[in-house]
Amino acid sequence: MKLLIVEDELELSNSIVTYLKSESYACEVAHTYDSALKKIDAFEYDCILLDIGLPDGNGLKILEELKENNKSDGVIIVSAKNSIDDRIRGLRIGADDYLPKPFHLSELSARVAAIIRRKQFTGNNIILYNEISVDTISKQVEVNRQVLELTKKEYQLLLYFIVNKGKVISKNAIAQHLWGDGMEASGNLDFIYTHIKNLRKKLNEAGSSDYIRAIYGMGYKFTE
Amino acid sequence: MKLQAKYNRATISAAIFVLILGSISYYFLLRYVLIKEVDDALRVEEQEILDHIKAHHNLPEETDYHDQQIHFFPASKVEQRRFVSTNTIDEVEKESTISRRLIFPINVNGKNYTAVVTKSEEEADDMLILIALLTAAVILLLFAILFIANRMLFRQLWKPFYATLSSMKRFNLSNPDKISLANNHIDEFNDLNKTVREMTLKVASDYQSLKTFADNASHEMQTPLAIINSKLDLIIQDQELSEKNMQHLQVIYDSVTRLTRMNQSLLLIAKIENHQFPDAKNLRLDNLLNERLQYFEELIHSKQLRVSTSLQKCEVMMNPVLADILLNNLLSNAIRHNVEAGNIEVKSSPDHISICNNSSSIPLDEKIIFDRFQKAPGSDGLGIGLAMVKQICDVYGFQVAYGFSKQMHAFRVTFN
Repeated sequence: MKLLIVEDELELSNSIVTYLKSESYACEVAHTYDSALKKIDAFEYDCILLDIGLPDGNGLKILEELKENNKSDGVIIVSAKNSIDDRIRGLRIGADDYLPKPFHLSELSARVAAIIRRKQFTGNNIILYNEISVDTISKQVEVNRQVLELTKKEYQLLLYFIVNKGKVISKNAIAQHLWGDGMEASGNLDFIYTHIKNLRKKLNEAGSSDYIRAIYGMGYKFTE
Repeated sequence: MKLQAKYNRATISAAIFVLILGSISYYFLLRYVLIKEVDDALRVEEQEILDHIKAHHNLPEETDYHDQQIHFFPASKVEQRRFVSTNTIDEVEKESTISRRLIFPINVNGKNYTAVVTKSEEEADDMLILIALLTAAVILLLFAILFIANRMLFRQLWKPFYATLSSMKRFNLSNPDKISLANNHIDEFNDLNKTVREMTLKVASDYQSLKTFADNASHEMQTPLAIINSKLDLIIQDQELSEKNMQHLQVIYDSVTRLTRMNQSLLLIAKIENHQFPDAKNLRLDNLLNERLQYFEELIHSKQLRVSTSLQKCEVMMNPVLADILLNNLLSNAIRHNVEAGNIEVKSSPDHISICNNSSSIPLDEKIIFDRFQKAPGSDGLGIGLAMVKQICDVYGFQVAYGFSKQMHAFRVTFN
């Protein structure tokens, strides 16, 4: 899978590349508007992360260019301005997703994975992880071909874990993924534990191994 | 006290003072003049009597008219010539008459007499009263005319001032162009308008630059925050990290999250202030309250809170995003500041919503709770949620009020 990261902040793009590379994506970086335009003209990408606040041009123009050339690259707009207008404009022009800064890399990774899944017309909507299989269209989970009944939150949590497998995900990132912005402010993230516990229990009862590891009370890791 | 009332009070009391003083002196002066007149008449009578004696060498006839009496009395010694004011009481009419009397000695054929000529002052008195009444009437008329003229003049003169005042009252920092100050033909007011215009321009530009600064600062902060966040996400992947360092990282995570939230909230407040949420829709707040309660289900459950709702249809025209923020902030406060197994009461009716909750904290100071960065002792919030609630209510002209009763904090938003 080939990704283009259009981001003028060097350190942020470095972090993104490091994280996504470890999930075996091929990443290219463009730090300016011009170099981004050249790259999208020359290559096809599965997904483009597009910071619209570039110093030498508006990222939305790049998006327009892409759409005019009928490119099918998936696009996630990344913006420091969490503005509804930008979001609406971006999505109207044809972006697939909108991610306000700052974000968690695990969240970015999940969004990228979702877009790539959507862009593949091969009907490949099943994510496998050993004995667990997740159908992202019917939102159904099977363990050893037995259907597992999960709540919406548990399903989101499992998918988030599998997409970020092998990575430590902080509780803050989980809270933001499951509840959005409102919940983090509640100060106490202990309620996440309830959902983890229930998911773990259901997986174990269905005969799956225990993949969820707590990491010193700060986060979780889905790993063998 | 109004300027005009103050002015009237000063001028009227001065006028009354002058009037009293004036009328007293006027009275005495007039009286003096009238007495002098009577005295002159008495002198004429005296001269006539003396002339008569000189010509006829006998006493003239005594007269006893109503307004003039002449009497002669034999005198053993020569009386001194003098004028006297007397007050005779009429037995019949029971009225006192003031009269003026001239007493003078005469000598007829070697015999001494005392002549007494009395003239009634009644006529003079009547005249005095007439003059006094007339004067009083003129003065009253003058007063009334002056008062009305003053009023009209006052209104006319101060018109530009009141115009300036009312446009200053309407002045709004977020919309400084609206102040309109017309030129007029009074220099002082033109001066005032000029100063007001300069001041509002200065205030508006200061406010604008401050706001731009805050806006930019918040936007510029997002990127470093994003970098810190991304680096943290990478660091925690390190398997060599000790538990202790992980805990440190957790604290950093939480702090970055708080900083991010605060920053976003400030940006949001600025946007609300700038009226950047124009699209209002007809929203059912009772339904939204239900949705929000579902959203907070986990939090409510983990604190074992009891939620009682009494939701009647409540339709309000407002921006959906702002409605969400409004309800979100009120409800999350009610949950966060609640005690274990406490109560939350959520009510809505066509004209208001109210959210009440138990809390361990004492009643809050309603004067400051809606200010930014005001928070209850021990609160782990940002101190910005209620400021945002207030801001949103201000945009739509809703009233938000706080109360404390029966160990419950209550927030109530009333719609018009």
